[in-house]
Amino acid sequence: MAAADLNTIRATIEGRLATELASSPAIPVVFHNMPYEPTPNSSWVQCLTSFGSSEYLGQGSTSSAQNRIVGLVVLNIFSGKGVGPGANYVIGKRIRDLYNRVNVSGVFFDAPIGPEALASPAPEGYFQTQVRVTFESIEEL
Amino acid sequence: MATIRGEQGAVQFDAAGSSNATIVGTRSWSLTTTKETLDTTKQGDTFRSFIGSMISGSGTVELVYDPDATGQAAFLEDVITAADTADATFELFTTGTSAGTDSASFAGIITDMEVTSTVGELVTVSCSFITSGAITLNLQ
Repeated sequence: MAAADLNTIRATIEGRLATELASSPAIPVVFHNMPYEPTPNSSWVQCLTSFGSSEYLGQGSTSSAQNRIVGLVVLNIFSGKGVGPGANYVIGKRIRDLYNRVNVSGVFFDAPIGPEALASPAPEGYFQTQVRVTFESIEEL
Repeated sequence: MATIRGEQGAVQFDAAGSSNATIVGTRSWSLTTTKETLDTTKQGDTFRSFIGSMISGSGTVELVYDPDATGQAAFLEDVITAADTADATFELFTTGTSAGTDSASFAGIITDMEVTSTVGELVTVSCSFITSGAITLNLQ
């Protein structure tokens, strides 16, 4: 086996979201380190994938060994301000269903947290909720 | 001084006892070696005295279950070997996988196998074994 390719894991996570939000009704989605100028009062999603601490899972030093890689996907959902939360939560359900306890290409997603409404949206001028999903992948050396 | 961390360890096993191979996914192992003693105290002695007698061993190996991991299936399923002739060989390494180095090796029988599946946790398997015949220790 070989060390895990974290970029492949990231692509698996983000690709799943990009495919879903490209389907009707399409919602713009932006990832880490991408410029985006949102249209006022429009709906859009920001997806931030990060990796946390790994831990030893099995014995074997650098060969015949396993590690557990854990990470977090933060999904910020923005929708028009002053029109209620409905449209935002519709997007939230799509996203939640996309990851809820799913195993994709060896990436195990836990039960999602949220959508949680945020009192101080960033950027301002939108209604913002946040869905967070922890995930793990087993690395086999 | 060189301390050793548990993740440096490994377990090798061969059900037929011909060529040990590393089991992928072991999480821990333990080996308890016990020597019986014979009382040689004589009348008139003030203090008891003993000599060493029969030596035996037993222990456990815990694995993170993976049906595709090299060596796991043969190891776990050895418990259902009927009329087991203790032909399986084990080598438990504290570090590395060089045969005869930093290890304990012996022939033995897997006497117990327990699979545990719990929500929110990885499926794990714990196996118990006893040794049969000589135990070779290379823990220096």
